Amino acid sequence: MECDKRFRELIDRSFVEEVSEGERRLMHDHIRDCDGCKRYVELTARTIRGLREFTFPSEADSSAQVFEILARHTETMRQQNVQFRIWAAFAVALSMSIVGSALVYQVAKFLAAPMHFDNAQVQAGVLVFWLLPSFCAALYTLAAPGQNRGIA
Amino acid sequence: MTLNMTAETETAKIARGLRERDMELLADLVERFQHRLVRYLLYLTGRRDYAEDLAQETWIRVLQRGSQYNGRQRFDPWLFAIARNLAIDYLRKKLRAVQTVSLPNDRDAMLLLPSSGPSPFEAAARSEDAMRLAGRLQILSPLYREALLLRFQEELSLAEIAQVVGAPLTTVTSRIYRGLAALRSAFEEGDSHGV
Repeated sequence: MECDKRFRELIDRSFVEEVSEGERRLMHDHIRDCDGCKRYVELTARTIRGLREFTFPSEADSSAQVFEILARHTETMRQQNVQFRIWAAFAVALSMSIVGSALVYQVAKFLAAPMHFDNAQVQAGVLVFWLLPSFCAALYTLAAPGQNRGIA
Repeated sequence: MTLNMTAETETAKIARGLRERDMELLADLVERFQHRLVRYLLYLTGRRDYAEDLAQETWIRVLQRGSQYNGRQRFDPWLFAIARNLAIDYLRKKLRAVQTVSLPNDRDAMLLLPSSGPSPFEAAARSEDAMRLAGRLQILSPLYREALLLRFQEELSLAEIAQVVGAPLTTVTSRIYRGLAALRSAFEEGDSHGV
């Protein structure tokens, strides 16, 4: 005899999710009198038990291999991070050098008249005493030894 | 309550360790989850070789994107979700390599890649019942296989499974029921034939 579909659904639900106490009682009462549903419960339980009886052997050194790969990858990421920091610091220093030089040039031009400097002297002064030193400082972020590299 | 607090502390510790790329913590996580991860990927792909490769990729992704784990949920569903996305992309590339026809758009459909070679499920069956299920598992849709594994072996809640597979709860339960029905028929048919 084909059982009421809702009992089969209730049985399925009882294996997969929570059912209320009332539903559980209803199900048990029904199963007691219904051979078809009793067998359905047995087969479902057997299926789930069978699913838990698969043992996938893992390779003995699988975890060790993964960890070795991760350690290598971490080192690569660390090196990439250092490279990025160096170039970022250089870009910031170079920008500051250019912007700073422009500002200093404007101030020097403003002060040039009362101090009787001509335009060429102002340009030479800014170049020698500001632009070149600041550009060298920016380059130092690329060339500095060891841990000071990239730390401007 | 105490158990909840312990669980919270545990996940928060993992989240902090991943943010700081703590290698000791990572080694511990690999030790604890590698077997389960490979098993999950095996259910998903049906291939041992794919599963091993993808497990390595998954850990690299965990290392790179560890800061995205917020520590508010369990770690294993988050790990499985990463593995799943990688598996879909990986299988899509594999399919692209062997197919010249246009690919389906549905990401989940990509999981229906036919597998070849000996079934890893038969090799892993440890009982007569499991052996009877192995054949069915191999031909069962990976989406159903995945749902069954997550529910009955990993014992994730339905909400956690929904989070891993990125599908609504109703879809998840429907996959579990259909998967169970397909596997149950292995016993029904077997018994009716007197096996």
